[in-house]
Amino acid sequence: MAKWSMVIDLDKCVACQGCSIACRAENNTPAVAPDQAEMGRAMRWNDVFPMPINPTEDTGEYPNVRAEYLPRPCMHCENPPCIKVCPVGATFKDADGIVEQNYARCIGCRFCTVGCPYSVRYFNWYEPKWEGDMILHLNPDQVVGPGVLEGPAVRPRSVVEKCTFCIHRLQKVHAQADAEGRAFRADEYVPACVQTCTGKARFFGDLDDPESTVSHLAKNTRAFHLLEDEGTHPKVIYLREG
Amino acid sequence: MPANLSRRDFLKISSAAAGAAAVLEGLPILTGGEAVSAAGAGSLKTSSNDVIVPGACALCPSACGTLARVADGNVVKLEGNPMHPVNSGSLCPKGQAAPELLYHPDRLNGPQKRKGDRGSGQWEAITWDEAIKTVSDKLNALRSAGQPEKLVFMVGDARGQLNSLFERFMQAIGSPNLVRNESLNVAAAKLGVYLTQGVYDLPVYDLENSRYILSFGASLLEAGPNPHRTISGISYSRRGRATRSKVILIDPRQGITGAKADEWIPINPGTDAALALGICNVIIRSSLFDSDFIHNYSFGFEDFSDEKGKTHKGFMSFVLENYDPANVEKITGVPATTIARLAGEFASNTPAVAIMPGKGGFLNGSISGVYAAMAIHMLNALVGSLDVPGGVLTQRYFDCAVWPDLPSDDVASKGLATERVDGAGTLFPLARNAYQAVADRILEGKPVEALFLYDANPIFDAPGGKRFTEAFKKIPLIVSFSSFADESANLADLILPESTFLERWQDGPIHGMGYPGVSLRQPAIEPRLQSRNCGDVILQVAQAMGGEISSAFPWKTFQEVLQFRLKDIGVDWKTFTDLGVWLIPGYRYAHRGSNHWINEVVGRDRRNAPRDGRFDFYSRELNCLFGGLKKDQLAKYGISESGDAVCLPHHEVGPQAGDASQFALRLNVITLMSLGPVSAAANLPTLQEISGMTVGETWNSWLEMNPKTASDLGLTDKDIVWVESPFGKLKTRMRLVKGLHPAVVNLPYNQGHTSGRFAGGRGVNGLEILNPASEPSCGLAEFTNTNVKVYRA
Repeated sequence: MAKWSMVIDLDKCVACQGCSIACRAENNTPAVAPDQAEMGRAMRWNDVFPMPINPTEDTGEYPNVRAEYLPRPCMHCENPPCIKVCPVGATFKDADGIVEQNYARCIGCRFCTVGCPYSVRYFNWYEPKWEGDMILHLNPDQVVGPGVLEGPAVRPRSVVEKCTFCIHRLQKVHAQADAEGRAFRADEYVPACVQTCTGKARFFGDLDDPESTVSHLAKNTRAFHLLEDEGTHPKVIYLREG
Repeated sequence: MPANLSRRDFLKISSAAAGAAAVLEGLPILTGGEAVSAAGAGSLKTSSNDVIVPGACALCPSACGTLARVADGNVVKLEGNPMHPVNSGSLCPKGQAAPELLYHPDRLNGPQKRKGDRGSGQWEAITWDEAIKTVSDKLNALRSAGQPEKLVFMVGDARGQLNSLFERFMQAIGSPNLVRNESLNVAAAKLGVYLTQGVYDLPVYDLENSRYILSFGASLLEAGPNPHRTISGISYSRRGRATRSKVILIDPRQGITGAKADEWIPINPGTDAALALGICNVIIRSSLFDSDFIHNYSFGFEDFSDEKGKTHKGFMSFVLENYDPANVEKITGVPATTIARLAGEFASNTPAVAIMPGKGGFLNGSISGVYAAMAIHMLNALVGSLDVPGGVLTQRYFDCAVWPDLPSDDVASKGLATERVDGAGTLFPLARNAYQAVADRILEGKPVEALFLYDANPIFDAPGGKRFTEAFKKIPLIVSFSSFADESANLADLILPESTFLERWQDGPIHGMGYPGVSLRQPAIEPRLQSRNCGDVILQVAQAMGGEISSAFPWKTFQEVLQFRLKDIGVDWKTFTDLGVWLIPGYRYAHRGSNHWINEVVGRDRRNAPRDGRFDFYSRELNCLFGGLKKDQLAKYGISESGDAVCLPHHEVGPQAGDASQFALRLNVITLMSLGPVSAAANLPTLQEISGMTVGETWNSWLEMNPKTASDLGLTDKDIVWVESPFGKLKTRMRLVKGLHPAVVNLPYNQGHTSGRFAGGRGVNGLEILNPASEPSCGLAEFTNTNVKVYRA
């Protein structure tokens, strides 16, 4: 068993949004219609935004101003509030601590989207759509099985979806290791956002392994969690700027 | 032909340096979409046949190395190529969204011939044979009439051998009119280096080893001339090594670069030259300069006498007399104490680099922008940062196999001797290209019979692009190579759609590392929708023309051209296609004054001034052009000084478009990381969606304004406003941005398209209301001096 964790160094993050779109391409989240995007219904599991959201607030007075930007995947909390509010048990934590979503069970009540203090759960308001041949670029990888996660196959309308730490990639490297008759290595597994990060700001690994990069970085004096006082115990760790 | 390369083969070749970052992989055991049990709860279903094809992105000038995952014949994902030094395995959102470009529903299906009037949007599909015959007949007719120079080829980002093929093609035909778009972006920076260091290229900054990075308006983290390269360099200098670099951004706009820098210093727009010279002033007065470099390898630092015994003012006394920090504060708005501190920090934290904006910023205003680039580059020279680790490097390239001689051809020689259509080298003595001026010159009566457009959409991408609509009316044949019916292609007679970068062969010299490298695009899948590589089409046109032209182009495909030209770079074709990139890592620093220094680093490209390995603080190249001119003659070139000051960098107030009493704000059209500089990128729905991240806008454009300015104008956040310049007005939404000089407003580039199902009708194009004039000495598009007023709509 592992304890998968991501570290994001804000000193190296350049808010390029490469992670957002790598996630989209890997997990087949659709671009929504412009009016829907304007309403805040864009489906980017790993969004990047200015902090505070309204950049005219609280960032100092000209010329002593500093905008801040925050990339935000699912925190894969050790104590996830989304699971507690789900009336049908559609969201659950797997043995490796990844918070998963069972799209077959989800009834679209959206309790979890409200329950999540990080707003990283996304509701499918419409049937996802890709115009013309754009459908050909969808990632064919799927995780299937009765009553379990299905991803990143296209999710239907009216379910809630979320970041899975690219769990299909984990499955693929396990399968690869099995096929080659060798042990699985933690460093083979990297989510799409970590792989593409332009500033090399993201690190991924097993917190249970004291020698992993994430374990070392978690002890850094710059390390913090988002909304620490919520008691969610996130497994995404940020490193402060500067 | 796509290279069938499995991930494992790729890693075998690419060595351990490729890193263990899991490159997307095909699982040979999981055939036929069969589900197998794997760790975890669910089981995995995947494609039956995965191949990884290396390539290079084309959605911005960085041209990052890519690895395309082709699953059952479809490109489903791009990753960064870990072997490519510019992006080393990463990709920005544009690269990640690129599969949308490949499968875009707006892509044209095969060659299109205009039906009905230009711009009516009615097209008739024709065969490639017919298209090629139409073009070759026209060119043959031009040559038989002895007027080959009436062919004009406007080019955006054609790099490497495609660029070289275009040059050869135009030479063979006999037209000097290959017009690149550098006058819109990088020419001012290149001239800054050329007039001082004598190298006509963008400088390379060794950011990984710099201790102090002083950026003058260079958008290092968003959209410079090589954004991914600067992101990689800055990121490493921050946290990849033991000591963290200090990064300063001097720019009226904070942007993401300023937000991530240690310090953001707003400056009055267009005054960078004064600030750089103010910093030089303090460094000189404090004797913090590199005196070995100054005294032995530079020219014109101190006063000097020429061969006639006339004394000339040198850089030192000029700067000491005119650019005292107190004076500079008045010009730039940057406090004198800050100037003194920056000078001290810069000169005592070497290796330090002063970075000029390669693109964007306020360099394109007047000749002052070129003086600014010179002054900024001189800061590097002053502290001895030239060709040292952590300093400024000079990009080297692979030597390509020499093209066979062109047959002697009277028609071509006569055509080549004619004046360029854009006036570069004649009307604009320092210019090599004056892209935006092509429209003016045609409207003034310069005859053009045929116009080719490659990655060029001048109606959209040139300031005041509407002039091109008029100019196009005077051209009998317009051929666009665009994959999409963009604004300019819509007014063409023929569109010969090019394959996207994921379907074509092309090379690209790597810029930004110093050492030579070349990346290779290759088809991840066969070209879709009957599109063709523009290089192939040029060869086919040459073949169809017959005679001397076809004998000058014996290659059947552009791939053969690549194999011929790149045969001596030290790698066999198979390995090259497997890796997608080839380099000779390890920059060779030149000893000051050595042959290596003289031949490659200082003075290499000088046309008039001596190639003596001396860095010009007093530009001898400018002296050759403007040295003897009188004040009124100089005024025509936009230079207010006379005498020695002409050859020394100085601050020019320069002309402004729009009287400041009426138009009080300066309009800055900014390029975003998301939409980037390439027209087609705006038509990708994913990039539209994320384009306005910094202000919470989406699928739209917006005007950024300082809250103080807004309250003075009685405006509040999200008001719909008119932005009006002397050249027109645009309506958009105003957003408050605190990190912005109160006298400047920003409008993002690449919105306001009139074509494209996702781009069309989204936002406004700021270039429409920018000054369309050309700067009179260098032929730069003079757009950053445009003043506007803003009022509620």
